[in-house]
Amino acid sequence: MSALHTISVSPTSGLLNSCLRLVCPGDGILFIQDGVYHCHPPCLLDGVSQDNAMFALREDLIARGLLGKISERITLVGFRRFVELTVDYDKVISWS
Amino acid sequence: MQQKSLTFIARQAPYGSNKAKLVIDAALAAAVFEQKVNFLFMDDGVFQLVQNQNAESISSKTIGRALETLELYGIEQALVDSVSLEERGLSAEDLAISVKILNVEQVRQLAASSDVVINL
Repeated sequence: MSALHTISVSPTSGLLNSCLRLVCPGDGILFIQDGVYHCHPPCLLDGVSQDNAMFALREDLIARGLLGKISERITLVGFRRFVELTVDYDKVISWS
Repeated sequence: MQQKSLTFIARQAPYGSNKAKLVIDAALAAAVFEQKVNFLFMDDGVFQLVQNQNAESISSKTIGRALETLELYGIEQALVDSVSLEERGLSAEDLAISVKILNVEQVRQLAASSDVVINL
């Protein structure tokens, strides 16, 4: 079963490393709220396999002035796509 | 009622916030409804398992009692992430209740095979 992992706190939390211990190939990772600070600089995401899609919520990036700075590996999503993602994956695992 | 496999992840140290207790309560509630419940200790959550705790000194309830109720409520699968233990210099002998230690691959399998993962 595939999972969408949502991360909503900043990299200082170290939560991405915990998350990656549960991530399987095919899972997705969505950065929201302060979690979008993982998107810059791109090296913060070096530990994420190419087998995992990454997304970030556009509104949260805009709010924090990060929109033009993020890694090319990340797909921007709006609220509508956010909802669709939660349905596309079999389950959601939230990290906060 | 349809039975689902639920995995609860306890990631918080026991007394700094009420979150540790909250995760236990949620898991017990699920067990009462005869769901298949796994309970995984990870990150700072492994501190809940340390022996010889006594929270009276800080006017709190010692968490060990609550953990013992897991088994009473039919939660047979109490699990702990080996990496989290190692990072904190803990081993099986340091733990207050009997838990199964999972390696990296087993933890990943647990999450993948669960219908629902509750990570508070």
